[in-house]
Amino acid sequence: MEQRVLFSEVKRLAQAGNADDALRMLRDSVRRGQLDAAGIEKAGRLCQTLLPVSTEKIGSRILMLGQCTTTWLTATTTAIAWGDGTALSVSEGAYDSVLQELLQLDVTSGRPNVVVLLPWQQRLLFNGSMLSARERVDAECAFWHQAWTLITERLTARILQVGYDSMSPGAQGYMLGARTGGDLAMIRAVNQELRDSLPSGAVFVDLEHVSGEIGRERFYDPRRYFWTKQPFSEDGTVRLARHISAGIRAQITGPKKVLVLDLDNTLWGGVVGETGPLGIRLGDGPDGEAFSAFQKHLKRLSERGIVLAACSKNNDADAREPFEKNPNMVLSLDDFAQFEASWDPKAIAIRRIAKALELGLDSFVFFDDNPAEQEHVRQALPEVMVVDVPDDPAEYIRTLDAGLWFEAVDLTDEDRARAKHYRAARRRRDTEVQFESIDSYLESLEMVADLRSIDEPDMDRVVQLIGKTNQFNLTTRRHGPDQVRRMLTDPTSIGLTLRVADRFGDYGLVSVLIAVADPDATTSLVIDTWLMSCRVISRTVEEFLFNALVEAARSRGIESLVGVYAPTAKNALVKDLFERLGFTRLKDAHGDSVTYRLNIAAAVPVKSFVQNKDAVLQGSVA
Amino acid sequence: MLEQVNEVFREVFDESDLTIARETTAADIEGWDSLMHVRLMIAIEKAFRVRFSSSEVASLNNVGELIDVLERKVAK
Repeated sequence: MEQRVLFSEVKRLAQAGNADDALRMLRDSVRRGQLDAAGIEKAGRLCQTLLPVSTEKIGSRILMLGQCTTTWLTATTTAIAWGDGTALSVSEGAYDSVLQELLQLDVTSGRPNVVVLLPWQQRLLFNGSMLSARERVDAECAFWHQAWTLITERLTARILQVGYDSMSPGAQGYMLGARTGGDLAMIRAVNQELRDSLPSGAVFVDLEHVSGEIGRERFYDPRRYFWTKQPFSEDGTVRLARHISAGIRAQITGPKKVLVLDLDNTLWGGVVGETGPLGIRLGDGPDGEAFSAFQKHLKRLSERGIVLAACSKNNDADAREPFEKNPNMVLSLDDFAQFEASWDPKAIAIRRIAKALELGLDSFVFFDDNPAEQEHVRQALPEVMVVDVPDDPAEYIRTLDAGLWFEAVDLTDEDRARAKHYRAARRRRDTEVQFESIDSYLESLEMVADLRSIDEPDMDRVVQLIGKTNQFNLTTRRHGPDQVRRMLTDPTSIGLTLRVADRFGDYGLVSVLIAVADPDATTSLVIDTWLMSCRVISRTVEEFLFNALVEAARSRGIESLVGVYAPTAKNALVKDLFERLGFTRLKDAHGDSVTYRLNIAAAVPVKSFVQNKDAVLQGSVA
Repeated sequence: MLEQVNEVFREVFDESDLTIARETTAADIEGWDSLMHVRLMIAIEKAFRVRFSSSEVASLNNVGELIDVLERKVAK
């Protein structure tokens, strides 16, 4: 949604007295990264007026005191925290009145839970001062120590101290400035001293690190300092607000505890169900190395106490195989406290993980390369933080880090023991089936199908799918191009390809179906081949193709369809497909295969959320 | 130009029916304080892809003067 449209909609809701829905819109747009820096700040100001009149419970009260103007930061921090689902009440003190505010604050009415202290360098680096560099560093630290005492003793609040940074190297330049007495050296000295003397439980946000994320040239806007005594650029304000918000989270609720990870194209390149455990890309080649590096990063997160859980749409045995057989794997099955590989919607699988670990969903972070899964989890489980995963695995570590999800105040022994505990307490997978309506999710995908007869231009892709599809494959007959052509020369045969797109992208040719004349009955067709790429499983794509097949058969005067399920080690997924679609199981089994029959006259269309492309086009014209 | 500037004003002040004229000053619009002024300047910079100097920001007395500065910058 365009920013302007969003804000007018929020305003309309607010004026109608519907603060809750207005806030939800703001939360989702911040969460999805749909706003620019000015939009985030504006969203924050709206949150500041809407939160008190909504049914949301204010989680914590934050007071910001700065040696520079904090107005932008106050609003932006409110928005960023709200985007993560935390309702903060953030207020600010008067410009450069840190100690005065702390002394005057009426402690009987609403104390803050956290006080954010934001220094600015004007006094530390003041050239007219008669003090030596050492004395200035000491005076600056003494000032903040006094503020800390007031905060902890008078207000019994927590401290979030921001550090110092340089906008320029100062008159001595970089080389001399870094020596004792230079501006850069003074800034480093104050930061070091503040960090070392910080009371336990307090947070230090190192401004040198924060500005370094995007570079000082972008982080600061000197004009704004002279206009309003606020030195940060719009983007810089957002960066700093993210760190402050993470620091508040670390103090109030603690860091996120669980990282839920997809497997295919998240921990390795490729789809293990298609290529086997040794065919995945891992360890070698540019993307293989990137996946290995990501696994190493995850291993270190696990070692420092973050609980890892796997959540993959896969056959359980396939999903485990790389861990057991691929020598390039860094993570082992033991690194996961829960291992969920099934064909259930991921929201259901994540709920199972939460239940098994006995941890709230609000301590979960979800990392999956598939935008449709991200959207599904965002909609179904708004408490879970969903990472907007980039296409390139080389960016995975940086993107995960940028969320600051696991920032913690003190690394306690308890934290370190936690991951071990959960792994040890791993239970058998909860087999209890949970139902929830995912219709609204499937509807929201806006899936469109392009159905065609198999033709020559598609032959390579058709044969490729016939050759490699294992999971959604009813018969697993590996036909070559000549065999496919031969089957289709019979005019009664039906050969179909299906392309699917949704609002996240085009999946291309994902399904093939070939039905040929039944040698035993002239008015019957046998489904020789029916397969589908697992990219579109559990989305009612097979239902759409089935309806199309019934229509095609009916128009040719066919009276019945025969389906065959030939079980393999990989295709348990489609064991019940024909029964689900209304076929009747026949007694006469050939070996392991099971045969089904459907009477076309009695066949009823099954529900699918996929729309025919032509119907969609006609609909848009009408 | 006035039309386009008006659009930015509406967005910054979050008032969809706000109408400005060349004579409009900060006193005429509720909430146009020094902080709002900076928000406005930065929003106009983005909308017109220009950059104001500190002296320009300080010297503007009404919308007309803003538009004059803007027209000079856009013409360059």
